[in-house]
Amino acid sequence: MALSTTRRGSSYLFLIPAFLLYSVFVIYPLFTGLSYSVFTWKGTLRDTFAGFANYAALLTESFLDQLLPALGHNFLLFAGTMLVQNTLGLAFALALSRARRGKRLLQTMFALPYLVNPLVIGYLWTLLLSPTFGPVNALLSGAGMDGLAMPWLGDPATALPTVIVIMTWQWVGFPMLLFSAALGGIPQEYAEAARTDGAGSSQVFWRITLPLLRPAMGTITILSFIGSMNTFALVYALGGSNGAPAGATDVLGLLFYRAAFASGDVNAMGTSSSLAVLMFTFIFGSTLLLQRVLRRKA
Amino acid sequence: MRLAPLAAVVLLSVAACAPSSTSSSALSPSQSQDKVTLSVWGWGPEENFDKMFAAYEKLNPGIDVDARSFTTATEYDTILATGLAGDSGPDLAWLRAGPKLQPLVEAGRLLPLEAADIPGLKDYDEGVLRSAKGDKDGKVYGVPFAVQTLQVIYNKKIFADHGISPPRTWADMIAAAEKLKAKEIIPFAFGGKDDWMLPIVAGVFGTANWGGDAFLDEVRAKTKKFTDPAFVEGIDQLNKLRPYFPDDMTGVSYTDAQILFSSGKAAMFPGGLWELNFFTENAEGIELGVFTPPAPKGGQGLMPGFTDGSYGVSAKTKYKAEALKFAAWLASKDYGQLYTDTLRVFSAVPGVTPTDPLLKEVSTTFDQQGATYFMNEFAYGNPSSQTVFSKALQEMLLGRITAQQAAERLDQSVATWL
Repeated sequence: MALSTTRRGSSYLFLIPAFLLYSVFVIYPLFTGLSYSVFTWKGTLRDTFAGFANYAALLTESFLDQLLPALGHNFLLFAGTMLVQNTLGLAFALALSRARRGKRLLQTMFALPYLVNPLVIGYLWTLLLSPTFGPVNALLSGAGMDGLAMPWLGDPATALPTVIVIMTWQWVGFPMLLFSAALGGIPQEYAEAARTDGAGSSQVFWRITLPLLRPAMGTITILSFIGSMNTFALVYALGGSNGAPAGATDVLGLLFYRAAFASGDVNAMGTSSSLAVLMFTFIFGSTLLLQRVLRRKA
Repeated sequence: MRLAPLAAVVLLSVAACAPSSTSSSALSPSQSQDKVTLSVWGWGPEENFDKMFAAYEKLNPGIDVDARSFTTATEYDTILATGLAGDSGPDLAWLRAGPKLQPLVEAGRLLPLEAADIPGLKDYDEGVLRSAKGDKDGKVYGVPFAVQTLQVIYNKKIFADHGISPPRTWADMIAAAEKLKAKEIIPFAFGGKDDWMLPIVAGVFGTANWGGDAFLDEVRAKTKKFTDPAFVEGIDQLNKLRPYFPDDMTGVSYTDAQILFSSGKAAMFPGGLWELNFFTENAEGIELGVFTPPAPKGGQGLMPGFTDGSYGVSAKTKYKAEALKFAAWLASKDYGQLYTDTLRVFSAVPGVTPTDPLLKEVSTTFDQQGATYFMNEFAYGNPSSQTVFSKALQEMLLGRITAQQAAERLDQSVATWL
């Protein structure tokens, strides 16, 4: 008994450094952000208590005109991530689980872009897709597909889908690794037993493999949701702080950046903090909700 | 009990991580051998600062000017706001012009500058000085250092090869563009992807339409609006010139446009005078010329310009007298000359004539045909009217809205704060 209490005591002690770091860098900024949002600011100088005035400013027409489309784009990114990136991730994981050779190598290769900073990736892709000097359009028209050689990032109709493709290119390794791990945890016997009972490969996949991947899918869904709602660096590198072209790639993160750093508004600190608090509350609430729904299903 | 020493170690290590007051004071200007170090923050290449300030150090042996440059322009505002709020900030700093200066003024981070301390200030043009003033109190908070002008930069060789001379009428300019286009040379290198360039280019081609300062004054006095036909016509020039911009221009970035011009694929570059520096370095062998687009309805065009920034003095400086004396030098012709010759842009100091022949030419044009660049004067609000209008112009070039609708967006945005 005595031994175990000391053990527990010392284990708390070892938690202290991590907890302190967490408090200083996560909890403290969260609460200061909250407190900043209820004050009026003069530059970096706190002025008077504002109550909900900063929040009310976010709901004026000039702000809503930007806020709602931005939020819509965040959701489209989430949908795109789920449909394209995560489906592809699953496909890669399945294909690799059957691969006899080079599994490790391919896994590493698919996951590699995920280790590169999104700003670098965004910059590389703007160069690749440039309609004047970019190799992508040169290749397309060289292959006789002139119709496809277009300003991918310069046309509002194609800009967001292009962002989704680039995001997929960067992140596909992540769902792939998670699905691979989950696939490795499914005992071979299930599939063998089903086959003995006369099930075809597609039946095995839909009836056995997929249901058993549900926990992994839940995790991936939630992480994709948070990732798409918080996205900033890649869209910033691809379309600048205004979400070019014509706001087609504008997201909440960019709106926050503009409100905080690009406006010259004397009260920028108050306005942007209230936006940040709203974003946090929304993402946190939606994630909890999502988690509950997914857990109930599983 | 046995845990106590361990806990003490943890606490100590945490205390060691906390910012201590001693380390921050070590960072602030130190007085060694009675020499005063003035720290100056700005943006742009550091060696330029060192070169210019060396002259002051020679004149004032007791002063050491320590320049620190932050190359990332957008982060500079945040770095400066934090620096001036704390104890490790600079004594003097480059300040943004107009709207972005106001947060620092209202937070009381800067010393108001009086003509008694800085005699040079009284010679400045009112239009130049306005960009360094607090909007609410009307006091001057900075010594303006640069004036930027907006015009068309052209490749002299391409012009000569095709028998083109700088246009005297709008029709001349269109004819020249047609001629170049027929020879598969892009007439104007202009990208629409980075939307901050759009109001600039609208200013280059449209200012003559709405007529410069008189129009802006009327908008400020609310006797005219941006939906005025003259303004709509002005920004509509971009639509009319569209055939002479690169293909797929909304996908062409600012850097792409620079490369199109510096590689000789395009003959003209509508933009700011600051491009001269880039082109001189990156377009070696290309002889540069500049012209102001003539007025579409005949006659001379207008060359828009704006004050780029100013030197402010921190309210927290430990060496107020020295900092003000230095600021007074920054308002002098000596410094102005040094600035324009080192950085190859216009000095804001009145009466300075650039040595560079091209700059000299622009300077003469600006004296005769200068106008205030509209966007910087109307960039207030959150979302800023500049952001709103840049995006609107981009939509206009994409063919989604008309010039009239773009002007309405600007008007609505300006109405939220004017």
